[in-house]
Amino acid sequence: MNKLPSHKKNAMILSALIALLLLVCLGSIAIIAARTKKQALVAEVYQNGTLIKTIPLYLVTENQTFTVTGENGAENVIEVRPGSIAVISASCPDKICVHQGFRSDSLLPITCLPNHLVIKLRLAKDSDASGIDALTY
Amino acid sequence: MNDSKKNNGGLSVQRLTALSLLTAAALMIYAIESMLPTLVPIPGIKLGLANVVTLIVLKRCGARDALLVLLARILLSACFFGSLLSLTYSLCGGLFCLLVLWLVNRLLSGHYLFLTSISGAIAHNLAQITVAFFLTNVGGVFVYLPFLMISACLTGLFTGLCAHFTLKYLPHFESGRF
Repeated sequence: MNKLPSHKKNAMILSALIALLLLVCLGSIAIIAARTKKQALVAEVYQNGTLIKTIPLYLVTENQTFTVTGENGAENVIEVRPGSIAVISASCPDKICVHQGFRSDSLLPITCLPNHLVIKLRLAKDSDASGIDALTY
Repeated sequence: MNDSKKNNGGLSVQRLTALSLLTAAALMIYAIESMLPTLVPIPGIKLGLANVVTLIVLKRCGARDALLVLLARILLSACFFGSLLSLTYSLCGGLFCLLVLWLVNRLLSGHYLFLTSISGAIAHNLAQITVAFFLTNVGGVFVYLPFLMISACLTGLFTGLCAHFTLKYLPHFESGRF
């Protein structure tokens, strides 16, 4: 096996690719973070990809909790506070969603993969203000 | 210098024992790691220490044995600690990771194990986030991608160096001293 020069070249190409990937990732994190400002937020709770609840967080005045149940006894207790939302207890083994704590920015969604639950936060649109009522929350 | 031995045919007793031992070690590492608290509250970020064993087997014994050890580890860990769902994640991540490890290891002729490991970690996280997308059907999970890629580079570097230094002190399986 006489590959000595070629493997060094491959290593350099690979290192360059990894460095490029890192730069792109850092850049995209910066872009995501820059677009995330503390504003009126709406939380969207998805289970198995379907939107099951929309909560305009900026209209919440007092703390409330509700439970989302799924297949195989999956259970997530979600607490809503004025301007923020968190999963406070979950039936999944790793509890990553609980550790994510109260979120008040749209940077990262709260995710409970074992229970197929995703809570996305997005900026409020004009249509949200008219649509909220006891039906959605 | 490539350590992998061309082996045609069945497993010798010595190799079978060595591979079983390594599988047990991988399983132990996996169990202990899953007990550690998660450092970063982002799903999918973990050290992946069990991958050290995969790397060692890949380098020492070749891709076929690495596949055996990986599959045994994933199936057993799913039996002991996991669920059917975590099996899907581990299997997709693990197999795609091994494929990339094998390819990169060949490209680099077995040198620069940490680069191989980083590529494997990136592949692993890419595969898992794709599975997450298909399971949750929420495009939002891809927001995690840049975070997962950066963590893959760091953890891959770490596991690669771990494997590199372990290989230095690990005796050869077929020298009779193992």
